Order: sequence, then structure tokens, then C-alpha cells
Amino acid sequence: MRRRPGIAGLQTAAATRDQYRLVGDNVAKIRTDLMKEQLATFRTQLEEFARKHKNDIRKNPTFRSQFHEMCAKVGVDPLASNKGFWAELLGIGDFYYELGVQIVNICLETRPQNGGLIDLQELRNLLCQRRKSARESVSEDDCLRAISKLKVLGSGFEVISVGKKKLVRSVPTELNRDHNEILEMAQAHGYVTAEEVERKFSWSSGRANDVLVSLLEEGLAMIDDGHRDGKRRYWFPCVSPMSGTSGSDQKI
Amino acid sequence: MQRLGDFKLPHFFNYPPYFTLQPVRETRDKQVQLWKELILDYCRNQKIFVIGLEDDFPLFSNPVIERSLSHEAKELFLAALVNEGRAEWMDKGHKKCLILWMRIQDWAEYIINFVKENGFEDGVMTVEDIRSGIESRGTDLAGIDRTVLMRALRLLEQKGKATIFKGTSTDDEGVKFSV
Repeated sequence: MRRRPGIAGLQTAAATRDQYRLVGDNVAKIRTDLMKEQLATFRTQLEEFARKHKNDIRKNPTFRSQFHEMCAKVGVDPLASNKGFWAELLGIGDFYYELGVQIVNICLETRPQNGGLIDLQELRNLLCQRRKSARESVSEDDCLRAISKLKVLGSGFEVISVGKKKLVRSVPTELNRDHNEILEMAQAHGYVTAEEVERKFSWSSGRANDVLVSLLEEGLAMIDDGHRDGKRRYWFPCVSPMSGTSGSDQKI
Repeated sequence: MQRLGDFKLPHFFNYPPYFTLQPVRETRDKQVQLWKELILDYCRNQKIFVIGLEDDFPLFSNPVIERSLSHEAKELFLAALVNEGRAEWMDKGHKKCLILWMRIQDWAEYIINFVKENGFEDGVMTVEDIRSGIESRGTDLAGIDRTVLMRALRLLEQKGKATIFKGTSTDDEGVKFSV
């Protein structure tokens, strides 16, 4: 198109730009409205669903975890606030709040035994014992959710993976690689000896000893000098809970 | 769950490191605490009053996990009970320990209740009656350690609720209650 000179030409160009912008805005607005509408519909549906399955969500841990997953996909966090619609509808905020408090209690109570590191399964067992009266059962997923909410407190509650196990840490100790490797190794029998550690990781006896001693001092390990072979064993209550949930049950 | 007779043992009894004295203070405190509770519970359950450190005591070894307490550990756990007034050494060498799973003042109270229930308020009983009479059957007084019983009676005497006197015919002592 030949550029037309003059003021009229410039005005026409500006007018055209405005027209385009208007049309563009309109399109965008229509799209947003549509999206909003869709989201609103979805929300209503989700709410309806939640209302309809309120009891399932409360009582069935599998259902609850699936519901959470669904909510996460659409960006709804039913735990975000205790005042919102969700909390009121489901009482689900209270549920996790209560769970969180109980988890903190258990972690504190068992700290002298396990040094502030507890197997997630063990934690769940203790939690279920404590909640015997409450009819809702608790899954590992629930525990993880409650713990993730505890992070807000900044008290160092964290879930770490060591080998096959998930451990909940309630003390601000940093576990380094060496510590982790020993904890993982201890999962096999519940204990390790310095000799085994040296052999397995090809560490010097000094290194093995240092790590074991630091685990002792953290309260994560306990020594056992009572075995026939006279070798000192280091037991780790956090990976071999003495309540006998992992096959250490003995009967006579 | 492991049992000793009709006594249900706690979980830690099957966890080997609890049979070795722990070097780290906090861990050891917890260990001592658990053992103290276990010793008192067991003695209360089995009505045991005296633990001899050199005798075989079923609580101090666990054949299932092949662990037993060292002499040092036994002495430490009992000493912790002594510190709390829940036990007393019976000799200087710390070879025998008297376990007070009920404190002397609790025993005294127990005796008062026993006396009231059996209508001995103004009556006379021999010490042996209290330990093995028909009335005490089924109560905690049955087979009570003589030392413990005498201490409780003397406490009652101090409070003016009982008078202990020497029998004339036997060498057993008698008690007159005045509750």
C-alpha cells in the first residue's frame, strides 16, 4: 500500500490501530469470560462433589488422597485456610490441624528414644493408636500433608528419604551423605558394626568411627555391647522401631 | 509380645541396646527411666520386695535376644530408684536392694484401710496375721516383706494410730490399732 502523506493519513493509521486493539480486547475478554465461566462451573461441580462425598472424604483415606490430587490439579488448596469455604464444608482443615498437633506431640515424646528421627510408618502407627477413638483412619498421605503444613512453623519438620524408608525429622540436624548411607545400611538388620561400615563403603576406620560417634551424639544411635561376638553394634531406633512393627516381634 | 509369667514386658525389653549402658547422656536418661518403671511395675505385679544383684533375676536378662544387664547397669538402675525414694540398699556393698513399689506412707494408708474394712479398729493383730492371715489373702499385704511392714507399722505408731508390743508367749510382735 502506498504511504499516503499528510495528517489525514496519520489519523487513519491511528484509527486503524485503535480498531484492532478494540477487536483484540474484545476477543481477549470473551476468552477470559469463557474461562471464568468454565472455572466457576468447575468449582461448583467440585464443591458439589465435595458436598456429596463429604463423608467419604472424611473417613476414607484413599478417597481423601485422590480428592487432594484432584484439587491440586485445578489449583485449589482445601488446606490453604481454615476459614474458607472448603474448611467449613469439610472440616478438613481441622482434621489436618489436629493431625499436625498430634504429630508434633509424638515426635517430641519419642525424641529421647530416636533422636528426633522417626520412621513414617512408625509415626503413623503411633498416630493411629492415639486416635483410636476417632473414627477416621489416617494414611501416610495424610501424615505427609499434615507435616508439609507444619513446615510453615519453621521448626524444621521435614520428611527425608533414606533407602526404602521415609523418615520424619523433627530436629534441625543436618544429615550428611555419610550419615544417610549408614542409616540406609542399618535398615537391613536394624544395626551396623564399625567393621561392616568400613568394609561396605571402603572407609578408613577413623571415618567410620567419626560418623558413628556423631550419630550417637545426635541421639540417633544406641550402642549394644551384649552380643556374643563381642563386637559393638550400633542400633538405630529410627529405622528399626522397637515396637516391633517390622518383624522384630518375638514370642516365647 | 513377650511375657514373664503373667507380666507383659514392654517393647524395649526386646531391643538389645537397652541392655548396654548408653554413653550419651540424654539417651541414657531415657534408658534409666524406662528401666526404673519396668522394675517397679514388675515387682508390684509379682509382689517382689528384694532384688539381689548377684542372684538371677528374670528381669535382668532376656534369653530371647541373648542380652543381660551388666552388674554396673543393674546397680545404676537400682541406684536411680534409691535416689527417688522408691528403693533402698539393704547393705553397704549394694548387693541387695529393697524395692518400695508402694512407698512406706502408702503402705501405712493401705494398712489403715485394711484394718477398717475388717473391723480391727480397736483390735489386736500379730504381725504374722497381717502377712499371712485369712483377712489379708488377696490383698497386697499377703506375703509383704517383714521389713516393709514393720516400717509402715512404726509410721502408724508415730502417728498414734497403732501400738506395737512384744508378745508374751511367742516372739512375734503384736499390733493394737486405734484408728
